[in-house]
Amino acid sequence: MASMNIENVGKVYGSLAVIHGVSVEIPDGEFVVLVGPSGCGKSTLLRMVAGLEPISSGDIRIDGKVVNDLPPKDRDIAMVFQSYALYPHKTVADNMGFALKMRGDDKATIETRVRKAAEILDLVPYLARYPRQLSGGQRQRVAMGRAIVRDPKVFLFDEPLSNLDAKLRVQMRAEIKELQRRLATTMIYVTHDQVEAMTMADRIVVLRDGRVEQIGSPLELYDRPANIFVAGFLGSPSMNLIKGRIRAGATPSFETDEGIVLPLNAIPAGSDGQPAYYGIRPEHFTLGGPVETRISVIESTGSETQVFARLGQQKIIGVFRDRVEGNTDQVIAMTPNPALVHLFDGASGLRLG
Amino acid sequence: MASTPYASAGDEDRTGLWSRRPRFMTWSLLIYAALILWAFISLFPIYWTITTSFKTAVNVTQGHLIPFVDFTPDWKGWRSLGLSPDTISAPSTVRDEFVRRFLNSIVASAGASFLAVIIGSLAAYGLSRFSYKFLWMRNKDISFFFLSQLILPPVVLAMPFLVLYKHLMLLDTLIGLILVYTLMVLPIVIWIMRDQFDTIPLELEQAALVDGCSIWGAFLRIVLPIALPGMVAAFILSVILCWNEYFFAALLTSSNAKTLPVMVASQTGSQGINWWSMAAIATAAIMPLVLVGIFLERYIVKGLTAGAVK
Repeated sequence: MASMNIENVGKVYGSLAVIHGVSVEIPDGEFVVLVGPSGCGKSTLLRMVAGLEPISSGDIRIDGKVVNDLPPKDRDIAMVFQSYALYPHKTVADNMGFALKMRGDDKATIETRVRKAAEILDLVPYLARYPRQLSGGQRQRVAMGRAIVRDPKVFLFDEPLSNLDAKLRVQMRAEIKELQRRLATTMIYVTHDQVEAMTMADRIVVLRDGRVEQIGSPLELYDRPANIFVAGFLGSPSMNLIKGRIRAGATPSFETDEGIVLPLNAIPAGSDGQPAYYGIRPEHFTLGGPVETRISVIESTGSETQVFARLGQQKIIGVFRDRVEGNTDQVIAMTPNPALVHLFDGASGLRLG
Repeated sequence: MASTPYASAGDEDRTGLWSRRPRFMTWSLLIYAALILWAFISLFPIYWTITTSFKTAVNVTQGHLIPFVDFTPDWKGWRSLGLSPDTISAPSTVRDEFVRRFLNSIVASAGASFLAVIIGSLAAYGLSRFSYKFLWMRNKDISFFFLSQLILPPVVLAMPFLVLYKHLMLLDTLIGLILVYTLMVLPIVIWIMRDQFDTIPLELEQAALVDGCSIWGAFLRIVLPIALPGMVAAFILSVILCWNEYFFAALLTSSNAKTLPVMVASQTGSQGINWWSMAAIATAAIMPLVLVGIFLERYIVKGLTAGAVK
């Protein structure tokens, strides 16, 4: 258990900078998820924390101690790899006990700890098997077991669920979260899946092109995204971002590029006529009202209905609990809830107000 | 069976099979004929060598081939080696020499192969895991440079080696022979081992590093055990190549470090070549390789195809 400070850390390959001065403070026992599209540098950052990748600039501290130049073995971290990286020539028990053996623990200690971890992960019947004799989910558990037997200062997860099928992924997601509560250990978890990030994290760090876009709790990020990237990245289906201008007038409103007027409650001072994005989440539309759209497709998942429509020339999605029916090009009225609208600057994409 | 509703369908299938039978048979016949022909081509020299070791001069010159039918087997070849039943217990200088050459062959080929596998594995691991730049050469060029050593005919190296070994006083020593054989098989070992290491995911070593290993620890505890089948294959292949090597053995050794192939070639008497004793030595010389082939063949195949089949 330990706190972790990532201070202005950068990574340069030759002349190509892939991480530009990232800073994250992680208090003891927190579950932090690094999320971003592929190529955003999240895995590189994790590997730099692990010591598998040298740091070009900045500092990484574990419990206040700078570990920049420590090899991985001296950092007291455990890592779960995307491919699990189980040793194929060792049994499950030996895989899990390997780190303890390297640490010099005696045989009895190794056995009790491996057994305890195997009990937590339901792996007891498989201890004598080899990785190739296990299913994907079981291998994943062994990889986790290899990490938890050590009781390390920090756990690192590099997209550990991406090789599992959808059902197993949901199950393991809950199990990892529960494990984290139980062990109360600092964890850094890398994923490109925003659902994993939203459901598991205490705090999310959204990365893009090697820069931090926003740090905050899942709901903070969901309710107050700092820019259009975060707004579009978190949430599924993603937030509608409609281009247009803010109009002050008697009652403030938003005029899209095609001249359609959308409701607004309040606008930042002096923003009349400013080009902006009108951000509204698909679930924050109500059927009816003054705003008319044309249906492209309607998809129903049973529990909810997704209406893909066009507002002027711009594509929007609305999600409703009610069943909605209609044909392509039919007009359907769906109006954004003005209290839940996000405004972003048209040029910089930063949040207004 | 006949009472089941599926019987008639089964019968139909069978007639279908029968109608296809002639073509199927022709194909298998052709394939088996080709296989038999190839087996004959491969095995005949061995048969010839072994039978010749039981022939007398007359049988050799008259080209008799089938024992007990057109010639009577005789222990003459083996007797000249001191290895026939009647001479095996008596002292024999030829046998002593044969045993010495045999041991020389074992020491030279096993020693060189051992050295080559160790050095070659380290080189291959480096080529597989790290990026090098030597002059204009990158990893790929360096690998090819190693392999390109095989393009050069050994004769080109004969004079330089002779002079070099004379100055280093390595002529007619087993150490000298081991060194030159190591050099000879190293490219092949590096090539095989590099393929082996390439198939081992990098994440395994990184996991080992996180689990508390140093770089050497990760190599010795994780990578080597996984690459072991490949190392065994490379070792066996090297042993075979060294065991059969004649050119450098003939060039660089005279009495002390002479190996079996040289002894086989030197079976000439005052009345020409002693085919029978040459055949007997050759038979004794190929036996170890035949055993290796029979018992270790699956390791060779496993090692060489480890990358192809996951």
